[in-house]
Amino acid sequence: MAKPHDRKNISLARRESLWAYAFISPWILGFIIFTVGPMLASLFFSFTDYNIVDPPRWNGINNYVNLFQDDLFWHSLGVTFKFAVVALPLGLVFSYLIAVLLNQKVRGVNVWRTIYFLPSVIAGVAVALLWVRIFDPRYGILNPLLEKIGIEGPGWFSDPQWAVPALVIMSLWGVGGNIIIYLAGLQGVPTDLYDAAKVDGANAWQRFWHVTLPMTSPVIFYNLVLGLIATFQYFTEVYVISSGNSNGGGLGGPARSTLFYNIYLYQNAFKYFHMGYASSMAWVLFIIVLCLTLLVFRSSAAWVYYEGEVKGR
Amino acid sequence: MRTKLFKVLALLVFASMLLAACGGGAAPTEKVKVVIFVGMGTGTDPDQVDAQNALAEKFNSTHDDIEIEFLIVPHEEYATRYLAMLSGGNAPQLVGPNGVSTVAEFFDTWEDVTPYIEADKLDLSDFYGPAVELNQYPDKNTGLPLGLYPSYVYYNKDIFDAAGVDYPPHDFADTSWNTDKLREVAMLLTLDANGKNATDPDFDPENIVQYGYDDSWDGMRGSLANWGAENVGRPTSADYKTAIADNPQWVQGLQWLSDGIWVDHFIGGAEVQAARDSSGVDPFGPGTTGMFYSHTWFLAEGLHDLSFSADIAPFPYNPQGERVARIDADNFTIPKDAEHKQEAWEVMKWLTSPEVIVDVCRIYGCIPARKSVQSTYLEMLKADYPGIDYDVIFKSIDYLDKPNNEEWIPEWGKIEDALNNGLSLVYSGEEKDAQKVLTDANAEVQQILDEYWATH
Repeated sequence: MAKPHDRKNISLARRESLWAYAFISPWILGFIIFTVGPMLASLFFSFTDYNIVDPPRWNGINNYVNLFQDDLFWHSLGVTFKFAVVALPLGLVFSYLIAVLLNQKVRGVNVWRTIYFLPSVIAGVAVALLWVRIFDPRYGILNPLLEKIGIEGPGWFSDPQWAVPALVIMSLWGVGGNIIIYLAGLQGVPTDLYDAAKVDGANAWQRFWHVTLPMTSPVIFYNLVLGLIATFQYFTEVYVISSGNSNGGGLGGPARSTLFYNIYLYQNAFKYFHMGYASSMAWVLFIIVLCLTLLVFRSSAAWVYYEGEVKGR
Repeated sequence: MRTKLFKVLALLVFASMLLAACGGGAAPTEKVKVVIFVGMGTGTDPDQVDAQNALAEKFNSTHDDIEIEFLIVPHEEYATRYLAMLSGGNAPQLVGPNGVSTVAEFFDTWEDVTPYIEADKLDLSDFYGPAVELNQYPDKNTGLPLGLYPSYVYYNKDIFDAAGVDYPPHDFADTSWNTDKLREVAMLLTLDANGKNATDPDFDPENIVQYGYDDSWDGMRGSLANWGAENVGRPTSADYKTAIADNPQWVQGLQWLSDGIWVDHFIGGAEVQAARDSSGVDPFGPGTTGMFYSHTWFLAEGLHDLSFSADIAPFPYNPQGERVARIDADNFTIPKDAEHKQEAWEVMKWLTSPEVIVDVCRIYGCIPARKSVQSTYLEMLKADYPGIDYDVIFKSIDYLDKPNNEEWIPEWGKIEDALNNGLSLVYSGEEKDAQKVLTDANAEVQQILDEYWATH
């Protein structure tokens, strides 16, 4: 039998739980209504023939079967992977290096930190329009600069061979968010570890490789997971750039060189009115990203170091 | 006590309801609201919004039973917003101005207005015949014609003068004005940085500063509709079951375009178009293009504040000896899921009536689809765009493309994208062989059609 004292404790804990649920209930409700609900709806639609106007008609797994026979599905997946394979590691390395530099004790470092973070607060559409001007082969500022060092700049967004590389370069613009997270991680590395490494005779590179990198690996892991998800959701910039391109073949142009997965999904949903098909694409993407994320999580045991963690337990 | 009070209150409520029911004769009838969805085409510029609001005021002040409201949607969002309204059971009563392309894009969502026309015994003879036909499909009439946008060649007279080349003939019977002649003239007008034209052996194609010709504001179907194919602007057979995008006339037209960009250099490629797009300029306005093939809507868009003198000429004859000048057209449509369709029909009639159509077309820049108001509209054209050959505008209507380059085909958006991808290959220089481009595009279109007909 519980003592009155215990009952009071349990009641307090319960009360706190209720209060906690009450406070987070707006988010939970929003999550259920605006995320879980549409997800379940799209799961249902993915098994239907649904053109938005007429009621959905059940067609079993046909959408999924057709998807794997659709050349443009594979093409769009290829474009997205090609972009992800280059842009994701490049962004992670680039932002890490900048963060290491911004972690040095130099004059005006706060100004530099602000400068590097600022671009990431500008919205996607504005950034896309800005880079369209920068990459403009005739009136942009990039090609004349390249010309000064003897390189003939390509057509960038108007050239099917260079459109994706241009997007990769453009993606580095928004690394400010990553930099801030890395910076926080770098500043959390205990200084006594560096002191001990110095006493042991480690040079700067060895200190970086054996102390800084392992100690910040959880942050790298975090940025990798978020970056992976974001890369596979890449949409706004391509939408803005390719939709405003005369005779670029429309969205995903020129010549389908920027037909990212989400662009093709959008076309199916809102241009071809194959909402059921688009829903099946969304679920396939979800499964791909989920698998890749799980793979990254599984691999983390080999390269992410958590202070205080005891291996083998 | 409380029961007593309740009884008194209930009695009072009942009495007031009885009084209201008996004496309600003087209460005003509520107007039916007709929401006009604007954003599929033109109509979203601030001055157009003001003009539409003024039009709504004019309608609302003269009608007791219907009230109209223009719902302005940014053009970039028209598809998602319209579909969201439809799927949410909140369809607008009218949609427009709609081009042939957006009518085709949302074809299944439109109401057939034939029963309304028949019920009203509406006389359509005042409308230009082609304007009516553009809305008429085998199984439905999508709406009353509002306006037409015939096409012709805008030319920069100063560039012609500087090159010592005669202006394009305005005489529609002059068959010497053909696509070969257009190429010849355009090459003479194309200049490199050293001032040499494209016929000069020392011409530098890497440093072109002025192009002779441009037709970059249209897709594959529009670019090839003028070349005299049996199917004109449609990439399929009449039953929509067979792809015929690789027909000889289209191949010839696309090769002419490809050579114009990559061999004869009188048309700018993708890089040139991209530079114009990113600078927000049209091909004609900066004064670096001798001839620009476009429609009447370009008058409002590009013929203001030019630093040179300009005029217009008919589109030339094609190698088949025919003249085809593609046409755009606008109408208003009623979504079949809309409420108050009868009221929407009344508003559609009002907007396209002889008394109002000129004002409406002035907002959107189209030629009124009614013959009876042509002279009124001509006076306005003369005031707004002095010095151009207005005959070219009206006569070009007779040479329109039929089947139209924007008209409905199965899987309209998907086939448009497949074809425009081919055009993009040519403009970007990825593939310069028109036969190869159209053979591949045709195979893709056929596959799309096969998939469509397998389920329809």
